[in-house]
Amino acid sequence: MARDMARAFDASPNPYTMLTTDFRYAGMNQAYLDAVGRSRSELIGNNLFEIFDAGGQSEQARENVRQLKNSFERVLQTGEPDHLALIHYPIEVRGPDGEPRIEDRYWSATHTPIRDGAGEIVYILQHTTDITELQNLRKRVSGAKDSVAVADLLSSNVLARAEHLQSDNLRLQSERNRLLDIFMQAPGFIAVLTGPDFVFQMHNEAYAALVGRRDLTGRPLVEALPEVPAQGFLDLLKQVRETGTAFEGRAMPVQLSSGPGGSLRTHYLDFVYQPLKDSDGEVAGVFVQGHDVTDVVLAGERQKLMIDELNHRVKNTLATVQSIAMQTARSHGEPRAFAEGFQARLMALSHTHNLLTRSHWEGADLAEVLRHETEAHGLTRILPNGPSVALEPAQALSLGMIFHELATNAAKHGALTSGDGRVLVDWALENDEVKLVWQELDGPRVTTPEHRGFGSRLIERNVRHDLAGQCSLDYSDGGLVFRLTFPLERRAS
Amino acid sequence: MSIPGLAGRRILIVEDESLVAMLLETMLEDMGCVLFGTASRVPEAVEMLSGDDLPDAALLDVNVAGQTVYPVAEILKAKGIPMVFSTGYGQGGLSDGWETHPNLQKPYTEPMIQQALMQALGVTTA
Repeated sequence: MARDMARAFDASPNPYTMLTTDFRYAGMNQAYLDAVGRSRSELIGNNLFEIFDAGGQSEQARENVRQLKNSFERVLQTGEPDHLALIHYPIEVRGPDGEPRIEDRYWSATHTPIRDGAGEIVYILQHTTDITELQNLRKRVSGAKDSVAVADLLSSNVLARAEHLQSDNLRLQSERNRLLDIFMQAPGFIAVLTGPDFVFQMHNEAYAALVGRRDLTGRPLVEALPEVPAQGFLDLLKQVRETGTAFEGRAMPVQLSSGPGGSLRTHYLDFVYQPLKDSDGEVAGVFVQGHDVTDVVLAGERQKLMIDELNHRVKNTLATVQSIAMQTARSHGEPRAFAEGFQARLMALSHTHNLLTRSHWEGADLAEVLRHETEAHGLTRILPNGPSVALEPAQALSLGMIFHELATNAAKHGALTSGDGRVLVDWALENDEVKLVWQELDGPRVTTPEHRGFGSRLIERNVRHDLAGQCSLDYSDGGLVFRLTFPLERRAS
Repeated sequence: MSIPGLAGRRILIVEDESLVAMLLETMLEDMGCVLFGTASRVPEAVEMLSGDDLPDAALLDVNVAGQTVYPVAEILKAKGIPMVFSTGYGQGGLSDGWETHPNLQKPYTEPMIQQALMQALGVTTA
């Protein structure tokens, strides 16, 4: 039977040749040998493109070789037969004098994959027809005046159609390549999954980057991305497959590994699972397309946190201002005095805010806080002396209020009322504890006030409550002495 | 103006800003309440609630120096002491499970505190 087949093959007037997958001659019939003008021993085992180079190194020759090679590659890639309706492929033949020469030839070829028992493609069967005569005649008659009938007779229309078909094929091929390029380079991630196990058929660069460049092609989802199915995505894919309706996800969180054995990272994805239907309307696969919107989602969360924090601070500041207004009103019954005292305290608060804004609310230096709150009374009259001390924002605000109250009091009743009075502010840092002394000199004689005003209550509360420290106010003959101790790092409780 | 139903009630304040704490103290005194104590930090408040002497109600700032006040709220709940929250975050500023308690938004007025405390204590205006 096999021998009968081989004899039939050899006897066929149609030229056939079998090529290995690396384009070496494995066999051919007599018609093929006649068509190319070669003997069997010249061809067997040799590469087709080494024997027939389409006429050398010209641009045209290279293009011809490329077309033929592409047709073979398509057969190997798709496993489907490929047709070359018309290919210009000159070959080397021996002339009547026995000398080799290049002869222009036109061919029409069909390439069919031949598989082994395991289904692997092992050969390409080429069925080729030399149509040079038809082509030449067509060219000749197209120049003649009464050529129409002859041309028809010579099937020039058939050739023209064949030429068109071939150029259509080339156009479609380049269109397909262009689409593939767009697909591969698209900024969004794209993948095609097929079958009930969702096997990766193809995926683009963005998808590879998203999943940490793991081996995907040809592998089912559960194997390729083992962390994904348990997160509900397999159920979603099954649902799309069963219902045939697309699923759209918005900012959906997914934990993805950064590579094989890599650590998990949360991504937020906008994506679509689009069912791919075959000619029977059955869902054959799922087209996955989307964008990683992690940065957008995180920025949104940060913004919400910042707005919450801003709201919290504004409302707290309003409550603080409300408190200042109420307490000031209680100690200053007269509207003018109230307005003065209230405004001065608001300005004190504002000064420290300005200072903190400069450091983006990271903190402020003690000497700076003192200077900001007291410079209105003259820089030469309040004399600071101490090391650099970095205060946290809350500590800076508290000390600002304290310095303001002390300076206001000094200007009303103490050392700053007369031209000669001065205030010495000395501080030191010991074991992370700030020890500060505010000493008024050369002012009027002072006595302990009968009534504790808002100012002194505010000072004491700030020290105890906000600074977790201790303080004392001594009204000695020489002037007021205020002593303050507070921890720099506020300990819990 | 002393308020019947609130007069003599001992109130705990948890608030990190001394000026705001002073405002609350003044308002509570005006209503005839007695100050149980003011804590400026969560551990301080927890300590104040560790003995047998307990307040009748508490006013809790939700965000206390960067910490949430819920550990204090848990103790109060366990001991059956009514509480009022205050927050700068507005509606939705309270975590799950605490929304049933009165929630004041800063800044607040005396009548707002009075109403919230009466609601927490189950006192009705006659």
